[in-house]
Amino acid sequence: MAAPPGEYFSVGSQVSCRTCQEQRLQGEVVAFDYQSKMLALKCPSSSGKPNHADILLINLQYVSEVEIINDRTETPPPLASLNVSKLASKARTEKEEKLSQAYAISAGVSLEGQQLFQTIHKTIKDCKWQEKNIVVMEEVVITPPYQVENCKGKEGSALSHVRKIVEKHFRDVESQKILQRSQAQQPQKEATLSS
Amino acid sequence: MRMVHILTSVVGSKCEVQVKNGGIYEGVFKTYSPKCDLVLDAAHEKSTESSSGPKREEIMESILFKCSDFVVVQFKDMDSSYARRDAFTDSAISAKVNGEHKEKDLEPWDAGELPTSEELEALENDVSNGWDPNDMFRYNEENYGVVSTYDSSLSSYTVPLERDNSEEFLKREARANQLAEEIESSAQYKARVALENDDRSEEEKYTAVQRNSSEREGHSINTRENKYIPPGQRNREVISWGSGRQNSPRMGQPGSGSMPSRSASHTSDFNLNSGSDQRVVNGGVPWPSPCPSPSSRPPSRYQSGPNSLPPRAATPTRPPSRPPSRPSRPPSHPSAHGSPAPVSTMPKRMSSEGPPRMSPKAQRHPRNHRVSAGRGSISSGLEFVSHNPPSEAAAPPVARTSPSGGTWSSVVSGVPRLSPKTHRPRSPRQNSIGNTPSGPVLASPQAGIIPTEAVAMPLPAASPTPASPASNRAVTPSIEAKDSRLQDQRQNSPAGNKENIKPSETSPSFSKAENKGISPIVSEHRKQIDDLKKFKNDFRLQPSSTSESMDQLLNKNREGEKSRDLIKDKIEPSAKDSFIENSSSNCTSGSSKPNSPSVSPSILSNTEHKRGPEVTSQGVQTSSPACKQEKDDKEEKKDAAEQVRKSTLNPNAKEFNPRSFSQPKPSTTPTSPRPQAQPSPSMVGHQQPTPVYTQPVCFAPNMMYPVPVSPGVQPLYPIPMTPMPVNQAKTYRAVPNMPQQRQDQHHQSTMMHPASAAGPPIVATPPAYSTQYVAYSPQQFPNQPLVQHVPHYQSQHPHVYSPVIQGNARMMAPPAHAQPGLVSSSATQYGAHEQTHAMYACPKLPYNKETSPSFYFAISTGSLAQQYAHPNATLHPHTPHPQPSATPTGQQQSQHGGSHPAPSPVQHHQHQAAQALHLASPQQQSAIYHAGLAPTPPSMTPASNTQSPQNSFPTAQQTVFTIHPSHVQPAYTNPPHMAHVPQVNHEALARCGLEMHSLFQAHVQSGMVPSHPTAHAPMMLMTTQPPGGPQAALAQSALQPIPVSTTAHFPYMTHPSVQAHHQQQL
Repeated sequence: MAAPPGEYFSVGSQVSCRTCQEQRLQGEVVAFDYQSKMLALKCPSSSGKPNHADILLINLQYVSEVEIINDRTETPPPLASLNVSKLASKARTEKEEKLSQAYAISAGVSLEGQQLFQTIHKTIKDCKWQEKNIVVMEEVVITPPYQVENCKGKEGSALSHVRKIVEKHFRDVESQKILQRSQAQQPQKEATLSS
Repeated sequence: MRMVHILTSVVGSKCEVQVKNGGIYEGVFKTYSPKCDLVLDAAHEKSTESSSGPKREEIMESILFKCSDFVVVQFKDMDSSYARRDAFTDSAISAKVNGEHKEKDLEPWDAGELPTSEELEALENDVSNGWDPNDMFRYNEENYGVVSTYDSSLSSYTVPLERDNSEEFLKREARANQLAEEIESSAQYKARVALENDDRSEEEKYTAVQRNSSEREGHSINTRENKYIPPGQRNREVISWGSGRQNSPRMGQPGSGSMPSRSASHTSDFNLNSGSDQRVVNGGVPWPSPCPSPSSRPPSRYQSGPNSLPPRAATPTRPPSRPPSRPSRPPSHPSAHGSPAPVSTMPKRMSSEGPPRMSPKAQRHPRNHRVSAGRGSISSGLEFVSHNPPSEAAAPPVARTSPSGGTWSSVVSGVPRLSPKTHRPRSPRQNSIGNTPSGPVLASPQAGIIPTEAVAMPLPAASPTPASPASNRAVTPSIEAKDSRLQDQRQNSPAGNKENIKPSETSPSFSKAENKGISPIVSEHRKQIDDLKKFKNDFRLQPSSTSESMDQLLNKNREGEKSRDLIKDKIEPSAKDSFIENSSSNCTSGSSKPNSPSVSPSILSNTEHKRGPEVTSQGVQTSSPACKQEKDDKEEKKDAAEQVRKSTLNPNAKEFNPRSFSQPKPSTTPTSPRPQAQPSPSMVGHQQPTPVYTQPVCFAPNMMYPVPVSPGVQPLYPIPMTPMPVNQAKTYRAVPNMPQQRQDQHHQSTMMHPASAAGPPIVATPPAYSTQYVAYSPQQFPNQPLVQHVPHYQSQHPHVYSPVIQGNARMMAPPAHAQPGLVSSSATQYGAHEQTHAMYACPKLPYNKETSPSFYFAISTGSLAQQYAHPNATLHPHTPHPQPSATPTGQQQSQHGGSHPAPSPVQHHQHQAAQALHLASPQQQSAIYHAGLAPTPPSMTPASNTQSPQNSFPTAQQTVFTIHPSHVQPAYTNPPHMAHVPQVNHEALARCGLEMHSLFQAHVQSGMVPSHPTAHAPMMLMTTQPPGGPQAALAQSALQPIPVSTTAHFPYMTHPSVQAHHQQQL
């Protein structure tokens, strides 16, 4: 190993391991903490986004079959300074969003409604749950079943804008469903073929 | 490290934590611990089949996962660059662009047809800056139809010269050319041109803050050397020097030496005012100093330049500085070789002669003359170095100075007239010198002497009052020393080198010489070092104390240290040690003196020398004053010892006096640089310089203590101001703690004290001060013990002392006692005392107030800063107290005749000193310490004497007080002085009344600056109090008795009081 003394993994090397849950993990070593036996791996994003990656923090105490696929000898790049305040604000907003979503869920909102809310929230931060209604910008109220025609409010740019969002949301959902179906069908075909 | 980074970069992201049992929790990653424990906010356990989000009730505010509890943590879709703080990279900037942003298409640069090489060359060779006017006119006319009315002949503004070949025209033309040539070749013209091209920063030119002179000098010198100075400027400098000297000869001599030193030391420590005062003081003296140490001078001049009219007037700030810088090196050497010797001898003579003769005037005058001579030599040396006329110019000043020395009092009076600041400062110095000398001469006559010089020199009068030779000497010496030092330093700056060679006696001169020469600080350092070395050899007292003193020294000497560093790293240590030793020696000397005058003298002398060096070092830092003070101290010490012997009217009294002297000396040494410098300024400042002096005042206070008894008072006032420096005060405070030990072991304690004093100052915090204050009352007695015991002692002392004090107070006249008790006891006690005092003494308020105020201040003000801030408040208390004390004092005076007087005075003194110290800050404290120390010894021997002295003293005090008043003011600022001074001052104030008021005001102002309100208030009180002055003294005396009864401190107290009384009597 090219790992420097005191370290068992050199940053940048590819490592694979198996957890106690029989889960296979593989990724590029980002960091390793000897004290806590924590290994941080960077894996390709599960969602396939190019500039993103999944970070795995693995407790080596519950891992077996640690294997170094290939080692990296060059020195790792320097660490960039982090904007802590930005991270803190992110943590705060994430938490608020999750809580608000949980509030809506606990109110009995349908899954579609939740998804729509998430979609709208991505575009317009000023939206909240009011009972089972989604209130956007204090002007537009979307009532179940959350279809385009359910968007009500004062006629204006806001209403039309929200309607576009809702419309697009359901269109995307439909396309996704189709995609999923097609994907689901393929394995079946393969299975049939194989069989 | 990388783990921390990666985990931090994912904070705020959603993550899924898989725990050992396979459960998965989802939440917002909040934070983590070094052990990799994770905290998730708003986390919920993810159910395998749940397609929808968690319900509200399923979400937990936050979950802490131990590192041993989870198997894998997954952060999905992390943008590694999200939190990167690279707002200014291309990607970061482009990322902010609204909407779609994609890489801009790069366009290849098409130069088209390359211009011909000729065109390119034409561009390169085109020197024209922008458009030609004619092109612009044409362009505007062609494009905008604007026609310019420009007439190249400028006929609207001038008339064309009609040239002809007539003889007359040719003559006139030739004449014009000649004149132009003359003008352009003149040094002045060149100098002015140089000014325009001068690349020095304004700060460098005009700053009042001198950065480390040593370093500065070194750098500045180097830079200056490297810089090309137009011949014209050089000439100018020389000329300016000459003129400046001539212009400010009167003031110059004393001032010149002091100026540099002060500027150097003060600049950093002192406020601009101080600088100005110094400058003022320097006014005359500065010149010499500049010559010796150009670097130091230049800064000072620049800084002071504005303040000190004379220097500037003589030569622009630049010229002086430059000349000094160049000359400085040469001067220093020359001085060392030629003039220095004279200087050194002079100081020695001064010291030796002064003390024996006792006639301060005679001695002083000689000193002055010597100094002047020294200065002259120095200046000459400087001049030589500078190649300038300065030698001549300097010579005149010297001559003047020497003459002035003879008639310092007159000069002093005159000085104010000339330029209040400069003149006053000088005059004070001169006055102090002259007065002090006169005081000594009159010694017993003090009163008479005082009157003689009285107007101009209230201080001198005071010095006479010190009567008690030791005290008087000490005080006067200090004053004189300051003055002389200032003068010497200024004049002798060259001598400084010599001093280095001959540390003990010449130390002052050396410091001066050094100051003048390269960097006053350096010279001072050298002096100090030498002195320290000597002291070390002679006295190696308690190491611990040394350490503290070292700290103090360090603090004090920081400035000096720089210079020292420049000089020699070794020197610093030695200097420190020496300082410590000096301080200790001083303390010891003080204690020893009081105890056994005969024995002490030698020690004192040693201590004095040591102190002197220290002082010089400090002085160097602060300014020449310190050096002078040191010298003076030495001389004073000697004188004091002699005086003590002589003064032995009351054996005890004599002893006490020594202590007082010794104390002052120590204080001066501790405060050394600043205090000394300040003292001298204070001296000067008394009259007008006050603002500047304020700081000086602190120093003066230290000096004052010794002085208080006699002429010293004036110096003391200044000293108090100097004491203001926290460091000193701290040290002093520390010393106070020592008192107990001191009482037991005066010598040892004294040794320790320096260190302790030094240490405490550093450590000393406002809170500490309060304790210290308490301790101080005791400490005051023990001042000599000094700082060493400080913290512990303080704590201990307070308890012991408070009881004792209280007991004393009880024993003593209620009012007087109360004050002492207050001092000794904690603030609460003080408050009670104050109240009691107030109750008692409404009538006598003035005197008591003055005295008490100082104490109260000290007490009230936990820390220097507090003191300063509090001063007003304290003043109020003081005023009340003073009243009580005053009443008591009045009564006590009569009583004092009996037994109490002596003790009470001591306490008062101590208290006052303590207060003053507190008020004054470190320096003051130091002063107090000194005072305390000095007192303690006296108390030892003198209890009975003290009483008797006290009885007699009242009268003496009254007479003396006139002088003291000024001191008193300082005393407020400077505790040390306060102790002695206060009494005297009060009395003096009472009698001096208006004069005192004026002086005080001046002092106060000076003092005030440092101590601020308190000082002023005290001053006011003082002024008002004048009538009660004697009473105040009495009150003090009354207080003193208490101490005696209570503890060993009391003895000290009594002793101090005795000293004071003696002084007064004298």
